[in-house]
Amino acid sequence: METDIAWQKELERRARIYEDIEAGGRFEGVMTTLDYAGMAALTLVLVVGFWIWGA
Amino acid sequence: MTDHVSRGGFAAIETEQEEAARNRAAAERGDAPLLPSERLWGFWEFTYANSALAIATWAFLIGGAIGLFVGPKEGIAAIVIGNIVGVVLTALATTPLSGRYGIEQFVALRSQFGYNGSRIVYVLAVVVLTMGWLAVLAMMFGRSIDGLAALSAGEAANPTGIKMVIAAIGAILVTWFIVAKGPTSIKFFNMVVSPALVILMIVMLYLILQQRSFAELLEMPALAPPFEDNTLNFIIAVEVNLAAGFSWWPYIGNLARLTKNERTAFWPNILGIFGAAALGEIVGLLAAVALGESDPTIWMTKIAGPIIGIIALLFVAFANMTSMANILYTSIVGLRQVGTASVRAISWSTILFLFCLIPLGLVIFYPQMYDGFFIFLVWTSALNSALAGIGIADYFFLRGQKLDMRSLHGPQESGPYRFWAGFNPIGLAALAMGFIVYVAIFNPQTLASIPAFKYLTASVPSCVAAGVVHYVLTRLFARGAGWGNYPRR
Repeated sequence: METDIAWQKELERRARIYEDIEAGGRFEGVMTTLDYAGMAALTLVLVVGFWIWGA
Repeated sequence: MTDHVSRGGFAAIETEQEEAARNRAAAERGDAPLLPSERLWGFWEFTYANSALAIATWAFLIGGAIGLFVGPKEGIAAIVIGNIVGVVLTALATTPLSGRYGIEQFVALRSQFGYNGSRIVYVLAVVVLTMGWLAVLAMMFGRSIDGLAALSAGEAANPTGIKMVIAAIGAILVTWFIVAKGPTSIKFFNMVVSPALVILMIVMLYLILQQRSFAELLEMPALAPPFEDNTLNFIIAVEVNLAAGFSWWPYIGNLARLTKNERTAFWPNILGIFGAAALGEIVGLLAAVALGESDPTIWMTKIAGPIIGIIALLFVAFANMTSMANILYTSIVGLRQVGTASVRAISWSTILFLFCLIPLGLVIFYPQMYDGFFIFLVWTSALNSALAGIGIADYFFLRGQKLDMRSLHGPQESGPYRFWAGFNPIGLAALAMGFIVYVAIFNPQTLASIPAFKYLTASVPSCVAAGVVHYVLTRLFARGAGWGNYPRR
């Protein structure tokens, strides 16, 4: 029981840390529009390029 | 007095440190989110870990299977197209949320399927996939041993004979023994096998290019194209690779939670998983087509001659065992995480053995599975592609990239993810819809397809359909307490 209460407190602590980071907008290394655009462009180039070359 | 106080102070610090270590170990197991300060992997560490996972003997198998449908030129195109789309969609569905919150993938899944629904998804997506791969890799091990024996004795190999079955059973039992001993032994094998597999691939590529030029290889025909329509054969090859890309869905989210942030959780998948898997598949494809044989345990002996052939087969047998140990360990750790109290009460070695019973049965009663393994792989994509679509719709479009750590890890019976007795009927309906769309477009068992398959594939529409159904039904019906805590618009 004591262990369970201690564990619930630990979960609470971890959740609070994330809530604070979120509230302060302090997440590091967030994926931006540039990342998503780069990912879409890379996928498109590979799909179209290899389709034309191989199919 | 001072001495007494300082000793008491040290004892308190020691207890605090022990508790912190226990909490961190529990977070690493997935019981709690890992904090940013506890996550160790940067870009290159995650790329290396990903590559080690992707460079496995199954890459040779998949590459060889592609050679059945199309020649090397179309095959390389299919490998790149299928893998990049599959890996990107799978990584989007699983890694940004793990990288942001350090959350265990199947705990996060409670927000999409409910706390009981996530258990069903685990069984369908992880347990079935792992059991199938265990059987296939064990048979590959068996065939390597059979090939070795034949090569040593100067006889013809019998890949479906009793020697293969006995060796495959032995491989599963030895894997069970290794995993029962714990993760340390597996880590040791990984450090040796991954770099050695890269060397093996380079040696094989060199030997193939010694026999034929790259230009000659590109002009070679497919081994056994199932249809006269070359476009259809090409799209089936793309679909097999989409399935290979989507088949990472059960694994990469939980690796990504060890990375420092979203970017380092996402981008290394493109270099590690996509790059390494594509390289291995291309070597398997070129060898299969050049030597007229899709089974790596046979083409390796043909290409390398008896001495290098024996070494290569021995190594492939060893590498298969490592892959088997990796996927068995990961699956059982996850099973205990999502399992009920009665599942968690079963001892580690017993639950491992029970898990191995079905792969043992497949090896004994269904050895034909090896030759049609890609059929099994494509079946898994009917689920994995839908899961990716639901994950993207839920995290990006319904939740605006925000998860509630408190609710996901707290008591579930009264929490916002209880849905309907722990099942989210909307998520499960979307999963069923994705599966139905897939099978309606392309039947993996018979390879029969409707005309739209040639333009859309089956995995992509399945992914889109599941995502759209999940989004629309959630917007329409998921309201009130206990229905997922979706932000109001």
